[in-house]
Amino acid sequence: MPTVTIDGCEVKVKRDATILDAARKAGIWIPTLCYHPAVPSEATCRLCMVELDRGEWKQLVTACNYPVRRDIVVYVSSERAKKARRGVMELLLARAPESQELKALAERMGVKGTPYPNVTDSQRNCILCGLCVQVCEQIIGKAAISFAGRGAERTVAAPFRQPSEDCIGCGACAAICPVGTIKVRLHKEQQEVEISPFKSRVKLLVCQECGTPIVSSEVSEQVLRKSQIDWQEFRELLRLCPKCRRSQTSARLRAASVYK
Amino acid sequence: MTELGIKRFSSLVELEGMREKLLNSRSASAKSIHVCTGPGCVAKGSFKLYEIFCAAVEGAGSDVQVQAKCVGCHGFCERGPIVVIEPGGIFYQRVEEPDVAEIFRETVLGGRVVERLLYEDPNTGKKVEKANEIPFYKVQERIALSGNGLLDPTEISDYIAEGGYTALAKVLSPMTPEEVISEVELSGLRGRGGGGFPTGRKWRSCRQAEGSPKYVICNGDEGDPGAFMDRCIMEGNPHSVIEGMLIGAYAIGSEHGYIYVRNEYPLSVERLKNAVAQAKELGLVGETILGSSFSFDIRINRGGGAFVCGESTALMASLEGRPGEPRAKYVHTVESGFRGKPTNLNNVETWANIPHIINRGGKWFAGIGTEKSKGTKVFSLVGNVVNTGLVEVPMGITMRRIIDEIGGGIRDGKRFKAVQTGGPSGGCIPAEHLDARVDFEELTKLGSMMGSGGMIVMDEETCMVRVAKYFTDFLQKESCGKCTPCREGLAQMLYILDRITDGEGQVGDIERLEELGGLLEGTALCALGKTAANPVISTIRYFRDEYDAHILDGRCPAKECRGLFRYEIDPEACNGCGICLKNCPADAITGEKKVPHVINQEKCTLCGTCWEKCPFTAVLKV
Ligand SMILES: Cc1cc2nc3c(=O)[nH]c(=O)nc-3n(C[C@H](O)[C@H](O)[C@H](O)COP(=O)(O)O)c2cc1C
Ligand code: SF4
Repeated sequence: MPTVTIDGCEVKVKRDATILDAARKAGIWIPTLCYHPAVPSEATCRLCMVELDRGEWKQLVTACNYPVRRDIVVYVSSERAKKARRGVMELLLARAPESQELKALAERMGVKGTPYPNVTDSQRNCILCGLCVQVCEQIIGKAAISFAGRGAERTVAAPFRQPSEDCIGCGACAAICPVGTIKVRLHKEQQEVEISPFKSRVKLLVCQECGTPIVSSEVSEQVLRKSQIDWQEFRELLRLCPKCRRSQTSARLRAASVYK
Repeated sequence: MTELGIKRFSSLVELEGMREKLLNSRSASAKSIHVCTGPGCVAKGSFKLYEIFCAAVEGAGSDVQVQAKCVGCHGFCERGPIVVIEPGGIFYQRVEEPDVAEIFRETVLGGRVVERLLYEDPNTGKKVEKANEIPFYKVQERIALSGNGLLDPTEISDYIAEGGYTALAKVLSPMTPEEVISEVELSGLRGRGGGGFPTGRKWRSCRQAEGSPKYVICNGDEGDPGAFMDRCIMEGNPHSVIEGMLIGAYAIGSEHGYIYVRNEYPLSVERLKNAVAQAKELGLVGETILGSSFSFDIRINRGGGAFVCGESTALMASLEGRPGEPRAKYVHTVESGFRGKPTNLNNVETWANIPHIINRGGKWFAGIGTEKSKGTKVFSLVGNVVNTGLVEVPMGITMRRIIDEIGGGIRDGKRFKAVQTGGPSGGCIPAEHLDARVDFEELTKLGSMMGSGGMIVMDEETCMVRVAKYFTDFLQKESCGKCTPCREGLAQMLYILDRITDGEGQVGDIERLEELGGLLEGTALCALGKTAANPVISTIRYFRDEYDAHILDGRCPAKECRGLFRYEIDPEACNGCGICLKNCPADAITGEKKVPHVINQEKCTLCGTCWEKCPFTAVLKV
C-alpha cells in the first residue's frame, strides 16, 4: 500500500485511491464541489487543487482524481495550493453570486468575496460542475439533461433547451447540485412536479384518499419496473400517501379484530 | 492494381522488383509537368491549369513523351500557382491560364525557358530558373516535405518509384520492434503536434503498456487558425504518413490505426482514403503485410470540428463517438487511451519523419538541429512578410533568418514588430530576440512555444494589446467550457482586454491579467487552458508600454484601437481635392477647394472614411 504524506501527515491508501481519499482518511479537509462518490470524478470545478511534490518541481493537481500509485508527498496548505483554490473560488463566486451554498463554502475556505464582475451567465448561478448530468445519466439511467454550447456559452439543458420528455421528475439532480441551483417545485393545482431551471414537468401521483401529492408518477413506474414487483396489493398501497396507508392498515387490522 | 501489373506484394523482393521496373520505364528524356495543387495554388485556380496541361499533353500526340501531374504544396504560396517542368526543375510562378500554351510550346516541346514567368530575386534583380536558387528555398531543408512538389499524391507508384515503403521493408526484414524504437530514440525526434514529447519514448511506453488491442492514431486535426502544415503533408504525400504509422504500429505491437482529419479538410480525407485503398491493394496495409506476420489496418475519421478536438484525450473521446472534451491525463493515454486501451498518438508531421529516420538512420537525423531539438520543423509563415508560405527549416535556425531570408523581410518596407509562434496559445517574440534559435526550449524560455508550427509576423502598425485580445477571443470561443479556470478565467481576461482597447482600462488591469494567467496555467484541466494566457502574458512581458499607453494615456501607439488616436490632415500633403469632405458621414471636414482641409475634432466620429478615401495619403493617424 502506497503512503501519502499530506502536509507532513502520513496515511496509507490502496493503489489507485485518490489524494482526496487519502486526505479524508487523514482527516484533512480539501474543499470540493464537483466531487461526489456516486459518480466518477471529472474534476471540472478545479477547486480541490493541491500541490504534488515531484522532486525537482512541484505541480498543482486535482485531489479528487489524482490516482495514488506510489509513495507521494502532497501539500494542501502550501501558499501555492491555497492561492490556486482561492483563485478558482473567486471565479466561481463571480459566476454564481447568489448561491448561498457557494458563499458558505467560500467562507469556510477563508475567501472573502470576489474581485471579479459577473461576466458569464449562460445559466444563472450554475457552476457547470456537471454532477446533475452525470447522476441523471449514470445513476438514474435517463440522460434527460446534458451539456450544450461551448466555452462561456456552456449550459446544462435538455435537448433543444425544451422541457425534457425523458425527465421522470425524480429530483436526483437537485439533490446532488452542490450550489442549490436546481430546485424541485411542486405545483399542487396542476398536480405536477417541476425540475427548475430545466422546466421539465411530470404528473404527480396523488393519494387517492386525501389528495396529497406523493411522488412523481414516472418515478413510481420506474421503481415498479426496476424492482420487478407486480403485485396487486403493492400497487394498491402505492396509491396512498403514507398517512392514509397507515390509517387504512390499522383499520384493516382492527376489522380483523386482532385487538378485540 | 492492374496498372502496375501486380496484384499484391507477397514479399519484399516483389516490392523491390516493382520499384526497379518503374524506374526503368521512365525514359531520361521524358518530360514531366508538375502543377502545384496545394491549398494556396488551388485557391488561385491551379486545378484548371492542370486540366489545360492535360489537354495539351493529349493533343501533342503519342510520339511526345510528356506527362502532367498534380503534386503537393511547394510551399511558396505567395507566388502561386506554381508549375515546375522536369527534368531541369524549371520553376514557373504566378502561372495563369493563358500562360499554359506558351509553357507547353516553349519549355516542354522546345526546351526553352519562358523568362517572364521565372522568379525574380529582389536582391539581385536577376531571374532565377530553379527552385533551389531562390532565396525562399535556399535556407530550407526539406525532410517531412521532401515528397511535396515531386510526387503525385494520388499515385502510389510515384511514391514507390521515389523509394517509398523501403523503410517499411527495412523494418520488416531484419529489425525487431525493439530496434525500431531504439532507432527513433536515437534520432531524438520529438512530437511535432505541440508538446514536443520524445517520440521514441512514447512508443516504448506504449509497447510496454499492458492491455490489448493497442491503437495507433495520427492527429490530423490541425485547428490552429492559418496553419496548413499537416494539411499539405496529408494532401501532398499521404503515403509518407501511412508508412510512418505502419512502422510505429510494428514497433508498438498494434494492428489498428486511425487517422483523425480536421473536418474542414475534405481533400485530405479523400487523398488519404485513396492512398490507404491503394496500399491495401498492394498488400502494404491490411493482413500479413509484405508476406510477413505483421498486420495493420487504417481507418480515416473526420474530426469533430472544434479546435479542442486536437487535444489528445478530446480526440480519443471524439473518435469513440462522445463529445470531444479533454479529460485528466494523470493516467497517460499510452496506458489507457482510445477505448481505455494503450494508445499511441502522434502528429502528421511526426509520422511523416519516420520513414526518413529508418531509411537514413537515427544518427543522421540527430545530426540536424540543436542539442535537444533534432531534425527540421515545418512552419506556416504568414502575416506581414513578403513571402508567405510553408517552410521547413532545421531546428536551431534563427528567427531572423526565417523572416528575412525565407520570408523576404517585412512587406511594404515597414518595420518588424513581433512574431507570434506556436498557434493561438503561443507567445509574441519581439525584435530584440530575433536572433534566438528556433527550438523547443528556446521558444518556451521566451514565453512562447513551438506549438505545431504557426508563425505570424507582425509589423510596426500592429497593436499588441489587440493581438492578445484576438487570440484570447479565439481561445475563449474554442474552450470547451468544461473546467472553471479556462471558461471563467478567459472570459474575465477578455472582459479586461476589451476594456483596455476601448480606452477604459484601469490601473491594476495588467496585474489582474497576470494573476489570471498564472491561475490558468496552474489549474486548467487541459493544455488549451494551461497555455491560453501566453498571448497576453508574453505581450505584457515585451510590450508593457503599449498596455500602459492604452490604460494611462488613453492612446494606442499602433493607432489601431478606435478612439485612442485622432485623424488629422497634413496641410503639406493635402491637395484640397474635397474627396474626404464629400465622404465624411459626420460633416466634420471643412475646407475650400485647392486649400488644405481641416477635421473638426469635436464632430469627428473616428470612422476612418477620410483616411481610406484620401488619394494623397494626407490624412494621418496621430
Ligand atoms: C487545444 C489543443 C489542440 C491541439 N491540436 C492539435 C492538432 O491539431 N494536431 C496535433 O497534431 N496536435 C494537437 N495538439 C497536441 C496533441 O494533444 C498531442 O500532443 C499530439 O497530437 C501528440 O503528437 P506528437 O507527440 O507527435 O506531437 C493539441 C493540443 C491541444 C491542447
Ligand atoms: S482547459 Fe479549457 S478546453 Fe481544456 S478542459 Fe478546461 S475548459 Fe475545456
